[in-house]
Amino acid sequence: MIAGLVLLAGGAAAGLFGSLLGLGGGILIVPLLNLGFGLPLRQAVAVSLVSVIVTSSASAAVYLQRHVANLRLGMSLELFSAAGAFAGGLVAFLIDEQLLAGLFAALMIWVAISMARRKDPPRAAVPAGGPSASGSIPAAPEPVPATRAAPEHGLGDAAPDPAVDGSLTAAISGPGYRVRRIPMGMAGSAFAGVNSALLGVGGGIVKVPVMNLVMGVPLRTSTATSNMMMGITAVASAVIYLLRDELDPYVAGPIVLGVFAGATLGSRIAHRVDVRLLRWLFIVVLVYTAYQMIRKALGL
Amino acid sequence: MSARVPSADTAYAMEAAVARLLVVGTWLAMGLVLVGVVLMLASGVDPLAHGAVPPFRPAAIPGELLALDPAGFLWAGVVLIVALPIGRVLVSGLGFLAARDVRMAGISLAVLVVVLVSVVASVVIEA
Repeated sequence: MIAGLVLLAGGAAAGLFGSLLGLGGGILIVPLLNLGFGLPLRQAVAVSLVSVIVTSSASAAVYLQRHVANLRLGMSLELFSAAGAFAGGLVAFLIDEQLLAGLFAALMIWVAISMARRKDPPRAAVPAGGPSASGSIPAAPEPVPATRAAPEHGLGDAAPDPAVDGSLTAAISGPGYRVRRIPMGMAGSAFAGVNSALLGVGGGIVKVPVMNLVMGVPLRTSTATSNMMMGITAVASAVIYLLRDELDPYVAGPIVLGVFAGATLGSRIAHRVDVRLLRWLFIVVLVYTAYQMIRKALGL
Repeated sequence: MSARVPSADTAYAMEAAVARLLVVGTWLAMGLVLVGVVLMLASGVDPLAHGAVPPFRPAAIPGELLALDPAGFLWAGVVLIVALPIGRVLVSGLGFLAARDVRMAGISLAVLVVVLVSVVASVVIEA
């Protein structure tokens, strides 16, 4: 019973801090299960993917209700992220667990650097208004490298009129912005899908900057659309883990429940919490955990 | 292919329908998982020391639910969680089709095909 409650608390902590800091749960859940509870890395990734799907579904519901996410853009890009996740899900069973640990360590370092360089207050791009009764997850945006200006309202290209312009660009552009460099967006989405499947993360760390900085989509829309895409992306690889009996329901249950509860709580208190100190504390934790993962990758 | 784009009202109605599906589905899935976790705790199953990972057998889930087996509720919750994004794409695709937006309906279908290929590939590899 104690272990179940500890998992529940661990999932809740991951959901809460992930929500406050604008991260998906995966970056926290995978090391928690692998380094903290000794679960094999692939099983940890499988549980994390299920958590990613839950947070994506809950947050997508809110973003769609508020008409913040670009459904057409998301569906166009998730075709590539799902294909990438399918490939990543297959590759995950072919590569050595130590290599996976090394890749995860690299991801953690990248996230830590992104968070350290973020200049804007973490809640700058939070959609207005509190969460609805839907048990919403959205709180802070995902970390975006702050080295370049991340436009909130696109890059200034005039929005095309889809009724006049029949192109794909017009169809997936939104009010006030015109989507650019679609092939790069597709490639970035596929890469995010591979990352998601291999490492059990949502892939927002790749998709949000690609949509925002490369494709000219406003940051708020990029974050919302990325969150929506994570669900089907994670499904494409989660079914591989599920059907290959790498998903333990007894571990997934308390973790998923905890993540949902923690993320919901986080979204409700985010506007009252100053996360600057929390963010730096989290960076230290990320770097330390990355160090542990590197040791594991090197067999030390 | 047609590039017809639904009106703003149609698009908003579709987004609202998808949002409702996700809200109801998420709460239902969390309810199933909650019951599964409570039963698991009550029956004394240690999630970190219960032996090998129980295999996923969809056909056994109804029987496990009737027997109040925690694994049945946990698996049912997981299946619903995994089904939700698929349902989201399906409802969106039908919405695009109803609006005669063939291109987006085709993209929705392609996404579903990728997921289906994942399932088939996993089954084939396991076999």
